[in-house]
Amino acid sequence: MGEVITGNGKILRAYGLEVSGCSLPAEQVGGDFFEFISCDERTVFTVIGDVMGKGFHAARLMETIRHMLRECIRINPHPLEVVRRLNRVGGDELRKCGAFATLCLLCYDGIAGRLTCVNAGHHPPLLLSDGKVKVARCRGVALGLLEDYLGSGEEEFFLADGDAVVLYTDGLVEACGPGEQRYGQERLKEIVRLQNGADADRMRQNILSDLETFTRGFSQKDDVTLVVMKVTGKAGERGGN
Amino acid sequence: MEIRVQQKEGMAILEVEGELDFSNVEQLQQEIQRRTEEVVEIDLQGLRFIDSSGVGMLLSQVRHLYKQGRTLRIVRIPDFIREDLDVIGFFQVLEALKTNPNA
Repeated sequence: MGEVITGNGKILRAYGLEVSGCSLPAEQVGGDFFEFISCDERTVFTVIGDVMGKGFHAARLMETIRHMLRECIRINPHPLEVVRRLNRVGGDELRKCGAFATLCLLCYDGIAGRLTCVNAGHHPPLLLSDGKVKVARCRGVALGLLEDYLGSGEEEFFLADGDAVVLYTDGLVEACGPGEQRYGQERLKEIVRLQNGADADRMRQNILSDLETFTRGFSQKDDVTLVVMKVTGKAGERGGN
Repeated sequence: MEIRVQQKEGMAILEVEGELDFSNVEQLQQEIQRRTEEVVEIDLQGLRFIDSSGVGMLLSQVRHLYKQGRTLRIVRIPDFIREDLDVIGFFQVLEALKTNPNA
């Protein structure tokens, strides 16, 4: 899998995709995370999550959840089953600490161009296609809050070359600017819409640059994690390992 | 964060103002746990920010009071906070707890 790690960011180029993500902690080590997990020669998972709390405790729980996530994908890579299983095994761990975690899991089949989305208490992804932005409808209860995962199930999209998907944590849309105004999903949708044609890494940089313009001078309370996934569809880049 | 307490017969109302986050979540938790009334109402009208630690604490206290046969009611939630709680599945958990306090 073609993966480049740059500081607190990562870029993946494989499966006919370019995926660019980064995580910016607000003050200390936080509970946000994102992952690219190769499943087989045609399928890759992109996951974003946020474990409740701050500091070492949240970071340790986050590492446990990441480890369990990989294990759940290995046991049964069906996206809904991954989240159900993770809620069972990880939920116990989270409840012991009085915590919960939100997670959005995307499974992309690079041959079919099919994207499957399952959500557990996370902001749903934005989809950019032909200059139009759509918000995915998939919803679900965060991991650890109930014994059995409860959600709207899997949502499927068929992506064409040039389509992009944006995943983010609440720290982005809840970031404060002048007059305690929030950055908000509407501003995010607008800046995403303006990125039509840009590559994934450029999109990510432009969104963060807009966030910085909005929040300039105001200290932020929460981590910001942002992942942009773009279908490049170039021949020879389909495979992963 | 400021907490103002009002008492009515068999009920305590805790009006929460300001920001409820990792740094002060224990203050509200202790105030909830100190109450002995059958119904404890948390009025969030003056809340400007809540982080995941605040959400987690509220849900654990709802669960805790349900198990004692008491009620923790969360009222007058500002719209922007209601939206955040909705994303997490907060209200679905409250519904599940109403029908099964051990959920």
